[in-house]
Amino acid sequence: MNFSLKAMYRGENSWDFLGVSRRVLMGSAIAVLVCVAAIFVRGLNLGIEFEGGGVWEIPALSEVTTDDIRDAASDVGMGDARVQRISGGDAIFRVRGEPAASESAESVVSELAKAAGVDAETISTRTVSPSFGDEVAGKARRALVVFLILIALYLTLRFEWKMALGALIAVAHDIAFTVGVYAIFQFEISPATVVAFLTIMGYSLYDTIVVFDRVRDNERSLSAKSRMTYPDLANVSLNQVVMRSVNTSITSVLPVLSLLIVGSFILGASSLQEFAIALLVGLLVGSYSSLFVAMPIVSELKNRESHWAEQERSAEVLGTSNAIEDAAAVLAADRYDRSSPPRPRKKGRKR
Amino acid sequence: MRRSHLVSLILVVVFTAASLAGVVSAGWTPVLGVQLQGGVEVVLRPAHEVSDEQFERAIEIIRNRVDAIGVAEPDITRQGTQVVIQLPGVKDKQRAVDLIGQTAELRFRPVLQMFDPTDPEQLSAIEEAMNQGQDGDIGNENSVETTESEIPDSRASLSDVLTPPQEDDVSAMVALLGSSGQTGFILAPAALTGEVIEEAAATFQGQWIVNVSFNDEGAMLFDQMAAANFGRQVAIVLDGVVESAPTINAEEFNGQAVISGSFDEAEAKNLALVLKFGALPVEFERDDVRTVSATLGEGTLRAGIIAGLVGLALVAAYMLLYYRLLGLVAICSLATSGAILWSIVAWLGESRGLALTLAGATGIVVSIGVQVDSNIVYYERIKEEVRRGRAVRSAAAGSFRAAFSTIIWADLASLIAAGVLYQLTTGTVRGFALYLGITTLIDLAVSFFFMRPLVILVVRRLVGERPGRLGLSNMAGGVIR
Repeated sequence: MNFSLKAMYRGENSWDFLGVSRRVLMGSAIAVLVCVAAIFVRGLNLGIEFEGGGVWEIPALSEVTTDDIRDAASDVGMGDARVQRISGGDAIFRVRGEPAASESAESVVSELAKAAGVDAETISTRTVSPSFGDEVAGKARRALVVFLILIALYLTLRFEWKMALGALIAVAHDIAFTVGVYAIFQFEISPATVVAFLTIMGYSLYDTIVVFDRVRDNERSLSAKSRMTYPDLANVSLNQVVMRSVNTSITSVLPVLSLLIVGSFILGASSLQEFAIALLVGLLVGSYSSLFVAMPIVSELKNRESHWAEQERSAEVLGTSNAIEDAAAVLAADRYDRSSPPRPRKKGRKR
Repeated sequence: MRRSHLVSLILVVVFTAASLAGVVSAGWTPVLGVQLQGGVEVVLRPAHEVSDEQFERAIEIIRNRVDAIGVAEPDITRQGTQVVIQLPGVKDKQRAVDLIGQTAELRFRPVLQMFDPTDPEQLSAIEEAMNQGQDGDIGNENSVETTESEIPDSRASLSDVLTPPQEDDVSAMVALLGSSGQTGFILAPAALTGEVIEEAAATFQGQWIVNVSFNDEGAMLFDQMAAANFGRQVAIVLDGVVESAPTINAEEFNGQAVISGSFDEAEAKNLALVLKFGALPVEFERDDVRTVSATLGEGTLRAGIIAGLVGLALVAAYMLLYYRLLGLVAICSLATSGAILWSIVAWLGESRGLALTLAGATGIVVSIGVQVDSNIVYYERIKEEVRRGRAVRSAAAGSFRAAFSTIIWADLASLIAAGVLYQLTTGTVRGFALYLGITTLIDLAVSFFFMRPLVILVVRRLVGERPGRLGLSNMAGGVIR
């Protein structure tokens, strides 16, 4: 695989995606295993929406320390509260815990406000009942199942079940990977993060559909006599869409990256971070999986169909070179007109 | 062909400009959600299973309470088994939280006197009477008449007279308004509360009536009250509002009462519900209570806007670098979509009170990628055709169909996701799904009616056969081999 930016820009790239696909798939499988293991071993850092309890965000005077806030928290029965300083310049403290049942919401806020030396009005609060998380998680799960079924149906109708399977495996890969990253780094998971996970699924599918669409388009334009094998076909198609994939990834990642770096880190809007990390990881892994997971799996499956297995055998017998350049040339020659489906050709008539 | 492209372009531009101008001149701006401007968000869930009717009635009552606080853009929606109440920008946050979902008592209070809340002289008299009443002279009906002449000058306003909610105590004499606001009532301490009612139902027997049955304790208390107030009115008070003030016309009820009056069906059923369930026909648990300070909300909004603009600028720069003139087309498409989106979001806020939430805003940021992708899919097709040796003009016109087919099928996956999420989830996720769906639809429309004709025109007018202007420089023309 010779890598050349210039060739890519010109669309003259001819990389053997499927030649490396087994090794890459293996790498992906290991990564997913590590992620799944991390989810089980380290567990997920669930936000209060899933566990119940309260969170207070307190903008404090600059001389206030974490200990001051912690003292105030234990005064209202939150000795085990987690207190974080989440912003550098203007100090913002984040307290998470469950106050004693005897304390009213108001008294907790006023106690914290006093410790931070600020007005109670400036404190943002969130309290969630323990059962709420089950509700949220239950709904998300149900939505997920319905969505996957609908997408499987849709892809089967639009393409075929093998592609649906490939796409869904790729999506599962993306989700496992992203959730794994959350487990490894112990980022907090909130409903916003769940939204981001769902977005990733949509994105990954979107990307995969673009790839499949091209493969199917190319497959249609093959002449009946073509000797091209399915992996070749897939390879050519992947080479054709790779530039789109890269460009789309870049233009999708740029706004999200800006949200994360400019919005969250520089300007300190921590609520933006909930979405941004999951989106960033998911977008990248989603583009990757469309090219390196979904398509190779489909190629494996298709190669078992009698027609394509036959092609593969005759290619081996004839020793036809499988170079991508050749395949692309064959495809270009076979293609009658890209914008309209090829006319059925008369028998025995050579082009 | 060429003319139709031009027409399509002009129509889109005119439509976009008109809707934007309409929204701006009407002074509509997007309503910002709680997380973006501060405020209160409460999610309530019934503690027990409830009927639809009860649920709707409960939401109605909550809505009335919220209106009473005076929030500019309240959003109260039922989402499955939950009620989501969003009060962006509400000032006294703690009070708002307390007020929502609290179950106030239903009380039966003998009516001491009725008054006209618009008559200042009566109001002054009543204020005086109430002050005396608080000194221990409760229940003296004649006190109002006797003191009237003694206070000729100091004019009382309605709010001076009415009992504020925090002083509306079971054992106090109170001054309250009827549900229409047309009649004022001075009421004795409550004789009994809603707890003792076992059943209440509206039935039609020549006219609409409400049958009420009490438990043993209630039967006794009610009979006591009836004996003491025979021939007089008793007010049914809920949340500090007199819902009804029927006259007692028997001394013994034995646990069964019939309330008749000139009710229509809705009024009778409403009264029955009030009697049966008290203030809220449903006992709610607070699933999620969030208060966001105005500073934090504004900070998030500012950070989001700056980050969004920086992201957009980076995307625009990249597209220009990579696709040159076509990149410019992509920027125009984004601007058009953005203008349409702004109009829709402002319209939704104005007409439906639908706020733009943080999740929704994130959905929009994400959709930038989808929008730009539609351009990229098309442009890459064009480049590919040109590489194959096709003339630039014909490539631009010819490859749209295949590109648009890809765009449709991929967007359809996004729409399925948005639809499922919107139907099956609540709160944050739902807001996100809504804006994802809207932006995807806008993308489809803008791709077809705006991007395509603009690309074709740009290629015809400005590019001719100089592919360099499309970022195709240094490209070997001709067929590969």
